[in-house]
Amino acid sequence: MRPLHIVITVALALGAGASNAHAYPQYQLARDATCTGCHLSPAGGGLLNENGLGVAEAESWKGTDPTFFYGASLPNWLQMSGDIRGAVGAVGNGALGGAAYPMQAEVIASAGARGFTFNATGGLRRPQEDGSPAHVVWSREHYLMWQQKPGEVEGMYIRAGRFMPVYGLRLAEHVAYTQRFGGYPLYGETNGAAVEYVSPRFEAHATGFIHDPIASAVEHGDGVAGYVEVRLGEHAALGAEGKYASDDDLTRTYAGITGKIFIPGADLLIQGEAELVHQEVASTSRTYNQLVGYVLASRPIAQAWLLDVGGGHYTQDTKVDGNYRDCIDANVHWFVTSHFEALMTMRVEILGSGPTGGYALAQVHYRL
Amino acid sequence: MRVLLGLSCSVLVACGTIDDRPVTVEVVSLEILAPTCGAVQCHSTTTRLEGLAFDTLDEAKASMRRLRVRAGNGGELLEVIEENEMPPDSPMFENDIHLIEAWIDAGAVGL
Repeated sequence: MRPLHIVITVALALGAGASNAHAYPQYQLARDATCTGCHLSPAGGGLLNENGLGVAEAESWKGTDPTFFYGASLPNWLQMSGDIRGAVGAVGNGALGGAAYPMQAEVIASAGARGFTFNATGGLRRPQEDGSPAHVVWSREHYLMWQQKPGEVEGMYIRAGRFMPVYGLRLAEHVAYTQRFGGYPLYGETNGAAVEYVSPRFEAHATGFIHDPIASAVEHGDGVAGYVEVRLGEHAALGAEGKYASDDDLTRTYAGITGKIFIPGADLLIQGEAELVHQEVASTSRTYNQLVGYVLASRPIAQAWLLDVGGGHYTQDTKVDGNYRDCIDANVHWFVTSHFEALMTMRVEILGSGPTGGYALAQVHYRL
Repeated sequence: MRVLLGLSCSVLVACGTIDDRPVTVEVVSLEILAPTCGAVQCHSTTTRLEGLAFDTLDEAKASMRRLRVRAGNGGELLEVIEENEMPPDSPMFENDIHLIEAWIDAGAVGL
């Protein structure tokens, strides 16, 4: 390995990783019809409700007490959790190198009553090499939420604050092409307000947002995002998504569709998302289009084990021959306890022009 | 002349297909380096791995200057790309490498 490669790999090992915990949409349709079947947030992810805690216990190998710190006493108006994640393994772009990613260390809290709650997710992120030490500690999400029917899985929600605008499938793995290159990037939280409605047959989310001018942000633009999903029968759903964001450099317009189908006999959930991304460069008015797609098939393979097989496509510029990449992913989840998950995740990436890349990483996730 | 060449010429890539993107700092920064190198966990404004960020035009220009990119010299940027050291897990398109090379050869206009 060349010296520079060693330096880069060590730098990665010292904290380049970043991720955050989301729901496992693999359970949707198969176990519960909506994200709110298991989560407090209408977007999914974050704090689990009573049913979600029950699922965590039932789906794990050792069904330990799934509650915060194994039954820590909290007042009725407060719910808490947290996530700690890390990964280690090998990455390659034609030549293999080692890598380690301390991905996440966050605490989640929701406080309130009678339908009004204040929700926050914060913790540590990687220090910037030329930045303030204070950069390490941050609040990724903090918002006020009103829920029309507290304690129920359906109804209207209104949120205001810093959160991730709902858009598309919101898969657990942030490396999915539709999240890496599409409209739902890791750390894409913005300041905004959302009106959302969720029911077992239909859900709709509309968010207006501005970028965060204080905390360094991934979404540099201001705009709107929307997502609508309709259930088709008991085991299928069809969705439409749209997002517009404009910043000093680019104006981006995203449009796409999602689909989900659960095949009960095979205990198999297949979900897919396809997006067109239209970009306009502010300083030159040049426009170009990108295509992003991802399909994920998920199936339990034994008690506490889940297998995902995915495929992705990304065209960086539809007018340039060869500028596309495809990937094949495989994830094997082992839910060891109600709180602890081990995950083996692998990718092979094939470019239209260039070498083949990929990774194989062992990831651990502990939910407080 | 270099400016005109840099702003107007198209790149004939090695595989024989025509890449008619303009050879400009905007294309190099926003269309190539941002999606390839500027992911949040790597060289983004948020993370600044190695002190570099490529997810905005201004940050990409500053990072390229820091990597000693200048007219006719790709500095450390081209060195790590051409020697396949970067990106570590998701390779760069050959078309993009050729366009960056052409932009530098044409004077790295706009940097």
